[in-house]
Amino acid sequence: MGRQRGYDEGEVLDRAAATFLRAGYEGTSIEELVGATGLHRGSLYQAFGSKRGLFVSCLRRQVSEHPGSEDTTDLVLVALLELAPRDEEVRGLLGEHLDRRGVTATDLGRRLLTRALMDETKDDGDA
Amino acid sequence: MRNDVTLTGDRLVVEPRGLDKLWGLRRQIEVPLAQVRGATYDPEAFYAGKGLRAPGLALPNAKWVGTFFRDGQRTYWNVCRGGQTVVIELDPSAPFARLYLSVEDGRALVDRINAAVIG
Repeated sequence: MGRQRGYDEGEVLDRAAATFLRAGYEGTSIEELVGATGLHRGSLYQAFGSKRGLFVSCLRRQVSEHPGSEDTTDLVLVALLELAPRDEEVRGLLGEHLDRRGVTATDLGRRLLTRALMDETKDDGDA
Repeated sequence: MRNDVTLTGDRLVVEPRGLDKLWGLRRQIEVPLAQVRGATYDPEAFYAGKGLRAPGLALPNAKWVGTFFRDGQRTYWNVCRGGQTVVIELDPSAPFARLYLSVEDGRALVDRINAAVIG
């Protein structure tokens, strides 16, 4: 696939995933990914094909290597919100992961509230 | 907007508009979808290094049209400042490593190309 070597792909994917987690999929620019990964723009495109290709690689790595982590759940939430509605491959990937891990809608909703600092199990305030 | 991009059957067709055909010496670029690896909405790509121009038009901070060589890669640019730039990555067997294009409704085009490539 013409993928350039000379960099650690796992490290690139970890840094890119952290960037997507911070700003979401659409909110992350290629400029930010270039800054976070240290790769040149052309090398990033050559290695992953597109921003979508990079995100899917991050998602695959997270669900296979850290299936139960909070970061994985957060990346799954980003994918569910932003890519899944228009991307069949991402929908399939997410469906497999959620089925395999037995993740329910309640689990996802709870994690979403926790991320938003609105977890009702932690705070019974009148929000 | 400097380019019309269409997906017809199993091909992606780029047609520069108006005089951009002349500046870039290309009336049309046609690539089989099998040679398209993906597309990205990337407005900031306008400011990225382009390399050696051969042939083409360079009006820094305004527009770039034509074939450029950098790091051993041949790329095609037809972009204008403030435009909606999309980047289309191609397979090594394609005539260019990638295409940088100003288009109308870049995000929608990127979704259409990626869906066609995956499908």
